[in-house]
Amino acid sequence: MIVFLILILFIMIVVIALSAILQEKLIDSIVLFMGVGLVSVVLFFIFQAPDVALTEAVIGAGISSVIFLMALKHLGVQR
Amino acid sequence: MKLSGFSLSAVFVVTILNILLQNTQSITQRAGEQLLNLNATDGVANAVTTVVVYFRGFDTLGEIAVLFLASLGIGLMLHSNNRCTLKTESNFILQTASKLLFPIIMLFGVYIMVYGHLSPGGGFQGGVIIASAVLLLLISNKSFEVPHSLITIIETFAGVSYVLIGLIGLFVLDNFLGNFLPNDIANMGILLSGGIIPIIYILVGLKVGSEMSMMVQNLIYREDS
Repeated sequence: MIVFLILILFIMIVVIALSAILQEKLIDSIVLFMGVGLVSVVLFFIFQAPDVALTEAVIGAGISSVIFLMALKHLGVQR
Repeated sequence: MKLSGFSLSAVFVVTILNILLQNTQSITQRAGEQLLNLNATDGVANAVTTVVVYFRGFDTLGEIAVLFLASLGIGLMLHSNNRCTLKTESNFILQTASKLLFPIIMLFGVYIMVYGHLSPGGGFQGGVIIASAVLLLLISNKSFEVPHSLITIIETFAGVSYVLIGLIGLFVLDNFLGNFLPNDIANMGILLSGGIIPIIYILVGLKVGSEMSMMVQNLIYREDS
């Protein structure tokens, strides 16, 4: 049972990451990058690493996306 | 390009499936069970904290130095006294929600920081949560500013205290960051246990929180070109 859940999460990570690099707009890529982080949080928690899950939720999905968005705003890329 | 990407991900999925089907039983239990055996060496309930702060305390000091250098670089490159003007005013929902959510996020960050030796979490995570609370204030309130002198005092105090505690351990126990405070295994699980480990994690949290707050503020304050 848990194997199928893990497999579904792995396939979700691959699909979200592929769609993140295939986007036209950069801001969509950043939002999908946050999605990769959020799915991997669940995966880390299943593999009994709650510390890594908390770190990924806070740093990978939280503050690094904010830094990417600020960099995008300062660069002024509008495509 | 797209074809190579899809084929690479297909190979990835097949490899993961192979690994999962070969050892189904042991894959989710192996790491946790072995880590739990490490608890008896020190009076700390969270085994990951034992590894990060006690066995690899010197590496944590190096990580703190790396984060300080990153914050210093951002401050040197992006520091500016003119705050960039937002094109649209922050709306009513954001202002009210930030007043409501700021104390809760701050309290959660302090909880993660202080209980780092008992439950998952610790200094790094708690510090970044505190920095995200500061970020919420920065984007909702136009006149808010992180007090620079206070940040300087907190960061200097935390960094110097970390090295001083390590040096005291070196003099008392002939071991840098040696655990010289009482760390009885019988006390494992209560708040005042583990000797110097909760003190060091709180110092790490203070340092990471102040550095990340200044980093976020420098990124927001950059004047518009």
